[in-house]
Amino acid sequence: MSSQPINRLPSPAKWTLPGWGLLQGMVVTAQNMVQSYYRKDRMTTVQYPEQRAPISPNFRNFPFLCYDGSDPVAGLRCTACSICEKECPPQCIYIVLDRDEAGKSLKRPKVFDIDLTVCMNCGICAEVCPFDSIYMDGQYELSTDDRFGGLLFGLDRLSQSADYHMQLRPEEATEVATRRKAEEDKKLAAQAAKAAKTKAEQEPKAKEAAESQPQGESA
Amino acid sequence: MSLLDRLQQAAPALWSPEWLPRLPQRLVEILLQYFGAPGWLVTLAGFLVAAATVVAVFLSGFALLSLVERKTLARIQNRIGPNRAGWFGILQPVADGIKMLTKEDIVPAKAEWFLHLAAPILIVVPSILALGVIPYGREWVPVPLELGLLFFFAAGTLTELSVFMAGWASGSKFPMLGAMRAISQMVSYELPLMISALGVIMVTGSLSLPAIVAKQAGFHLGFIPAWNLFTPWGLSAGLIFYVASIAEANRCPFDLPEGESEIVAGHMTEYSGFKYALFFMGEYLGLFAISGLGITLFLGGWQAPLPGLGCVPSWLWFFAKMVVVIMSYLWIRGTFPRVRIDQLMRFAWLCLIPMALLTLPAAAIWHYVGGGLLGWLTTVPLLLIPWVILTVLYNRRMAPATRTYTFAES
Amino acid sequence: MVWTRPIGRIGRIFSLSYLSMTPLLILSPLILLAALGAVWKARPVHAALLLALSLALIAVLYLTIGADFIGLVQFMVYVGAVAVLIVFSLLITRPGDEAEELARRPRSVVTGLVCTLPVLWVLVHVVSRLGNLPAGAVENPVFSVAHVGQVLFTRYAPAVLVVGVLLTAVMIGAALFAREPGKKPQCPSDS
Repeated sequence: MSSQPINRLPSPAKWTLPGWGLLQGMVVTAQNMVQSYYRKDRMTTVQYPEQRAPISPNFRNFPFLCYDGSDPVAGLRCTACSICEKECPPQCIYIVLDRDEAGKSLKRPKVFDIDLTVCMNCGICAEVCPFDSIYMDGQYELSTDDRFGGLLFGLDRLSQSADYHMQLRPEEATEVATRRKAEEDKKLAAQAAKAAKTKAEQEPKAKEAAESQPQGESA
Repeated sequence: MSLLDRLQQAAPALWSPEWLPRLPQRLVEILLQYFGAPGWLVTLAGFLVAAATVVAVFLSGFALLSLVERKTLARIQNRIGPNRAGWFGILQPVADGIKMLTKEDIVPAKAEWFLHLAAPILIVVPSILALGVIPYGREWVPVPLELGLLFFFAAGTLTELSVFMAGWASGSKFPMLGAMRAISQMVSYELPLMISALGVIMVTGSLSLPAIVAKQAGFHLGFIPAWNLFTPWGLSAGLIFYVASIAEANRCPFDLPEGESEIVAGHMTEYSGFKYALFFMGEYLGLFAISGLGITLFLGGWQAPLPGLGCVPSWLWFFAKMVVVIMSYLWIRGTFPRVRIDQLMRFAWLCLIPMALLTLPAAAIWHYVGGGLLGWLTTVPLLLIPWVILTVLYNRRMAPATRTYTFAES
Repeated sequence: MVWTRPIGRIGRIFSLSYLSMTPLLILSPLILLAALGAVWKARPVHAALLLALSLALIAVLYLTIGADFIGLVQFMVYVGAVAVLIVFSLLITRPGDEAEELARRPRSVVTGLVCTLPVLWVLVHVVSRLGNLPAGAVENPVFSVAHVGQVLFTRYAPAVLVVGVLLTAVMIGAALFAREPGKKPQCPSDS
């Protein structure tokens, strides 16, 4: 309850035509009805499942593993370091490292399972991955009637190409691609410099060897 | 006389577009006369076919309206209406019908099963009865009663008792409350409805609906139709009739008795399956009936709006006007929020009834002065000045106070 | 313009001498049963609805004998207004206990018979002294609605005015009685 006096609508000086507000309201709804046939903002219905509403770049639903190039096995960025497995809060990731016959790590996963029923889409695995290999996907049509394995996603279902990542989240993917390219270039430049250096070191030795050879042969 | 001879004899009138709605009835009568049936059987069969025609037309109209209403309301509300059950949802009424027919019919244990069963029937029957007296065309009045208007209102009052039966027989709280509100609403709005119709009866001098339509023939100044709506008392009475008819038919913004967010479904709460479909049907048929009456009383019934359009059959004009009126009902439904029960009653008793009572002397003065400029000069102040006074009074007393907040503004 | 009345036509169907009593013969037992039910039934709502039914059947009787106006007015006023008033008052107030009503039943029957049997005797006595009415009395009704209206507002105008004043007084009195003493009517949006 306020302490100020109640203000009422003032006297006949401000009399408006009765029903004018009603008519204005009816004009608004008529406009809405007519314009809903040709203006997008007056007909916002998306007829699922024939059409799908566009998802925003910030939408995240389930992780996927990124691979470069076109071979999902050879280009897979994941090295099975298991950091995501350890950081995952509900512990829905299961990783088995691939080793060769001698027991040496092949730096790729043999088994990489994520349980859809446990994953809570927090995105922590994507945040902590040091190899830019796991990102959050935007798929929401994942329902299945297979109770006993249909909701456990393995390597085959989780691997998606880098082009897919680019389509899904262009900004993030471009940033990752430029960063990786820069690193790749730096590595190549370092390798080239090292190769040049060893070549520069080896050249006088080769010259000496070449010079000593004919002398040896002529004597 | 052979059948062909009989048909030829009746030919010019029988096959004209004006007589198209009566074609089934006339054909059956001719057929029975050819087979030598007694006079009373021919008449009876004719009546039955006429009744069946009216019922068939309006039931298919009801089915179509349920779809059109949903799609129109949807477009007003930025969405697409039903469009899954066939091309543009045209089979949606069929789907609804199948659903209603196959639903389980639940009668609560505490309900009186006989009244529970009788109530929806007694709501549909008066609406169909009322549809029988309206003149749809020059040659198409299902039952040309001399007391047609009185019959219409008598059929309407039966609906109130059936609403009470529906509410009370369900044996639970919400239906009782809904029935109480529904009856008080219908009784309150029947007064403006009937009083505004009284002006028309006074000017026409007859209760017969075809006579009322015939009185509205002709054109003023060559192109303005002589409909009752284009007179000052007719405009006022017509608007009052329009608003009261929305309330009588329990439509938004006066659908408090059946608003889902208020009272579940009011008197229809404990009904399921086909009985609910009958309530729905009764409401829509009542809407057709009362808009048909409004068109007959104020919009000239089946009269054409401009002089040269006599070639179009008269029943087509009637249905065109009905389409316009029903679209306006849908428009209003999509625009306005529901009014509260006290606002509703206040509006009926303090605003509509005084204005309706004023149309009576206005109509009388108009009739004795003979219409025309003098009629306008005398009746317009009679109607306008009290209206202005009423609205000024209500703006002062009834308007909600401007709210002042102690804690929010700082 | 003469508009033929199908109801009149159906009335003409029943104008053959042995068929003229059929509507009365069919309807009167129903009316009596409904009226008896209205008086006898212990539950007030059932009684009210049976009363409405008996009034509606009386309206139908009026229609079959060709008194269209009276029949429709009977329907509109009695079934549409009086019966609705009764059921409305039943909805709002709490009707009495059913068992109590049944316990009082023998005494009520005696009171009822004491009140109604003399009236019944008077009615039977009066009707039996009426004699035979001519057969075609309602074939061509003299009274049209216009005639009724004219007679009502010229010959019986004082009576109509008195009834109007009485009804207005009743309405004002009811409104005054319904108000709580000392409280002005408020609109709820005030506080």
